[in-house]
Amino acid sequence: MTDISTAYRNNRVGPVMRHGDLAVAVAEAAQIDNPDRQITVEDKIAYLRIETDDELVLTRATIEDMLGRPFSMNDLEVDLASFAGRIDTGADSVRFYYATHL
Amino acid sequence: MATLGRLDWYDIARATNWTPSYVTEDELYPPELSGADGLRMEAWESYDEPYKQTYSEYVKVQREKDAGAYSVKAALERSNMYANADAGWISVMKAHYGAIARGEYSASTAEARMARFGKAPGMRNMATLGMMDEIRHGQIQLFFPHELCGKDRQFDWAHKAFDTNEWGIIAARHIFDDMFTTRGAAETALMLTFAFETGFTNMQFLGLAADAAEVGDWTFSSLISSIQTDESRHAQIGAPLVTVLIENGRKAEAQQIVDVGIWRAWRLFSVLTGPIMDYYTPLEHRKQSFKEFMQEWIVTQFERSLLDIGLERPWYWDEFMAQIDTQHHGQHLGVWFWRPTVWWNPAAGVSPDERDWLEEKYPGWNASWGKCWDVITDNLLEGRIELTYPETLPVICNMCQLPINTTPGPAWQVRDYAHTHEGRTYHFCSDPCRWCFQVEPARYAGHLSLIDRFLAGMIQPMDLSGGLAYMGLAPGEIGDDAHAYAWVEKVRAARERLAS
Repeated sequence: MTDISTAYRNNRVGPVMRHGDLAVAVAEAAQIDNPDRQITVEDKIAYLRIETDDELVLTRATIEDMLGRPFSMNDLEVDLASFAGRIDTGADSVRFYYATHL
Repeated sequence: MATLGRLDWYDIARATNWTPSYVTEDELYPPELSGADGLRMEAWESYDEPYKQTYSEYVKVQREKDAGAYSVKAALERSNMYANADAGWISVMKAHYGAIARGEYSASTAEARMARFGKAPGMRNMATLGMMDEIRHGQIQLFFPHELCGKDRQFDWAHKAFDTNEWGIIAARHIFDDMFTTRGAAETALMLTFAFETGFTNMQFLGLAADAAEVGDWTFSSLISSIQTDESRHAQIGAPLVTVLIENGRKAEAQQIVDVGIWRAWRLFSVLTGPIMDYYTPLEHRKQSFKEFMQEWIVTQFERSLLDIGLERPWYWDEFMAQIDTQHHGQHLGVWFWRPTVWWNPAAGVSPDERDWLEEKYPGWNASWGKCWDVITDNLLEGRIELTYPETLPVICNMCQLPINTTPGPAWQVRDYAHTHEGRTYHFCSDPCRWCFQVEPARYAGHLSLIDRFLAGMIQPMDLSGGLAYMGLAPGEIGDDAHAYAWVEKVRAARERLAS
């Protein structure tokens, strides 16, 4: 564990999903939609923390593929319990990002 | 018929600002209710909420969330989870529901104020949904514990607590009234949606959900994490507001409001969330320590996002970091010691195995807080239980309304941060609590802490029985050790093993 007083110096962004099939689909989609980034998934049982540095994009199409059923982008909210970074919500994608890099 | 995509019409549809001709802008948006610090409506046109949601989408998504939470409850109702749960975990639920459920209605009032008096159209739309979110949180967190009232009357406090003068509730009301219901829309948005919900509610609604899942209490875990999905949307009201304020030269004002909000939220969570995570939750089910959850949610996630939108770390950062290591241990010791004055049964959480865990997570615990627990433990081992009850009152901070304490041991340096205002001397636990008062003394000056009320003769008779009556605690409701002191026998067995 890093020193707590400097732990704010990071660039980690991404969704925190409640436990369930959507969380698993999002974790898989994050890998596919962000091929050049190292995605980490922390399993806290009640929630999955899915993160990478600076920017993480999720597309509706990839989540549909992973779920195997139609998916509306704003249905992400059903299990999006929190997120690191800022959010940019669109009809076909959602982006988590920081405007600055530390 | 082809229809436009939501994003093609959303911005136009919610652009509901107009130039009033029958009344002035200040009549339409009274400054004390809009809290816009003199910023005219034009300045708010650039407000762009990042998390856009329409009403029809809202209804659909919320219906799905409720269906999920209620079906988990229904499916597990026959699981015997409650009958088999550790007494410490039952106390977690009692403390949570009493301290939170009715406070949600205050949050709904806050959202309603933003929905009417926010000068930015996007804020009004988000807050309309947020207002309904908070009604959901109030109702669902009253409904879930209601079935437990018949098993244990302390659960009645889920609804009753906020109608009493119990000390913890005086503290909760003081902060909720300050942050949620007595400020203009813009200040409310900074304090409630930004400082409180982007940051601290993650501790109680997701950190604790992780512990609940470990315990196997999926009903509670699913309920509180579902609530946080609403928060994660409407908490986004605050960030674009900071952008507008900074663009209009009001960074210092925004920073001050956020700093007050973070500090006030921290103090409340130090007494509510700290003890339940590090002492009440059964040892084998603790996902992380309170400090580790604080690092994950508040320092790594929230403080970083605060920097990204152009604010700075609070001026009291070093004090804040030091308190994350220590303050909740003192609050826990106080809650357990004054246990008749709470509506749940505090778990001591200091059996030999638990103390090893505390020492590992908080090096130095045994040499400081542990010394106080040694005295309590020795008294219990020797049958002197009367010495483990309080005979005096704590000194209570005139800001956070919590007992003033610092880490015991050789470095003990408890002190009163006093301040005299218009002839009355106020007592504070720390520099930041005193600073909150000094920033806006008129806001707080008239409040009497529970101890002030004692000294003013408002609580009669002036002893524990009078205090309990004043706090609304009846026999059968007043707290006692969660495990009926069974942990003391574990200490006895460990000492006997060592001696033989």
